[in-house]
Amino acid sequence: MSQSGIESRIADLIVAVLRDRDESLGPDDLNRPVAELDLDSLDLVELHQHLERALRVRGDLNDTARFAYLSDYTAYFSKLASQG
Amino acid sequence: MSAGIVDLATAKPGDRVDNEHFTAIGLTDEWIRRRSGIASRSWLPEETPLSEVAAQACAPIVTRAGSAAGIDALIVVSTSERQRIPGIAQRVALLAGLDASVLALDMNAACCGFVYGLVLGLSLCDAGRARTVLVCSTEAMSRMVDRTDRQTACLFGDGSAAVLLADRPEFSGFCHTAGCDGSQEALMRETEAGGIQLDGMQVYDRAVRRMSESAQYLFDHGPAPTVVVGHQANGRILEQIRSFNAHLGVPFVNRIEHSGNTSSATIPLAFAEELDAGGIPAAGRLGAVAYGAGETWGGVAVDYRLPAVATP
Repeated sequence: MSQSGIESRIADLIVAVLRDRDESLGPDDLNRPVAELDLDSLDLVELHQHLERALRVRGDLNDTARFAYLSDYTAYFSKLASQG
Repeated sequence: MSAGIVDLATAKPGDRVDNEHFTAIGLTDEWIRRRSGIASRSWLPEETPLSEVAAQACAPIVTRAGSAAGIDALIVVSTSERQRIPGIAQRVALLAGLDASVLALDMNAACCGFVYGLVLGLSLCDAGRARTVLVCSTEAMSRMVDRTDRQTACLFGDGSAAVLLADRPEFSGFCHTAGCDGSQEALMRETEAGGIQLDGMQVYDRAVRRMSESAQYLFDHGPAPTVVVGHQANGRILEQIRSFNAHLGVPFVNRIEHSGNTSSATIPLAFAEELDAGGIPAAGRLGAVAYGAGETWGGVAVDYRLPAVATP
C-alpha cells in the first residue's frame, strides 16, 4: 500500500473511532486540537490501541499521549506501518 | 484428583454511595459513568472491622461445609487492612468458626491478590497438603482513597468474598500465569499524604494488555475457560478487553456498576453477581485475570461447581 493509502486508511480508522464516541465528529476534526474535542484521556488510549491492532504495529503511549492534533496520530502510525 | 471452587459467598455491608455524592468535588453522575462505568459503591463505616466483613463472607461457607470437610487453610487477601500485627486471618478464622488447627495467613498482592491466593490455595490442595482451603478477599478501599481526589475518589468500593477450594473427581487441573515488574511501581501507589496515585492512561493501557495476554494464556494452556472474570478496575478497561478477546467466544464479565473497584475482591464479587443474575451456569471453568499495583499481573483457570445456595 502506498504511503498516501496508509495515511488515508489511518484517517478512516481514527474517524471511525471518533464517531463511536461522538457521531458529529468527522474527517475535518482531524486537524482540530485534541483539547477542543470532547475526548477524555481514556479515549486517546483507546484510539492508540485500536490503531495498533488494526495496523498490527506497536506504538508508545508516551509518544501519542503528547499529541496536540489527531493528525499527529496519522503521521505517527503511518510511519510505524511503513516500517512494519 | 484436582481442586476447584466448590462454594462461594460474599458480603457487601456498609453505606451505598451513589455518584451524586461526588458532586461536592465537582464530578457528575454522567462523567463518572462515562469515565468508569460505575454508578454506586458500598463504603464501610470507619468503625467496622474488616475482619468482621471477611467473616461474614466466610461463615456461611464454613457452616455449609461442616466440620467433616476439614478446612485446613485460610488465606485472607487484603490490600486495605491497616493492622499488621496481628494479621487479620487469625481473627477471621475465629469469627468464621474455623478450627484452631487451621493454617491461617494474610496475603497482599494488590488487585492481583485473589488470583494469587487461588493459585496458592489450589496448590495446597493439589499437593495433598490441605483437604480444603478457604480463600477470602476483603477490602475497604474507601479507607485508602483521598475522598477529595477527583481522579480516584469515585472509583473505589468496599466488600468481601470467599471461595472454598476442594478436590472433585470431575475437575480438571488448574492452570495459571503470573508476573511482576517492580520498575513500574510508580504507576499505582499509596501516597505518603494518604490516597492513591494513579497514572490513568498508562494503567488503562497496561491493564488491557496484561489481562488480555493472561486470558489468552489460559485458553492456550489446558481446558478453555467457559467464562472470564477480569479485575473490575474500570468498566472501560473491561469492555476493551471484551472487545479485543471476542474471538475467544466466552462471556467476559463486567459487574462494576454497583461495586466499583474493590481491589482484590472484585473478581469473586463479580463472579458471584454474574452467577446470581443467571449470566453463567453454576458449573464451568472460571478464567480469572488480574492486573494491579506493583506492577503485578496474572491469571488462573479453575473448574467450579457451586451449590444452589451459594448466592450473594
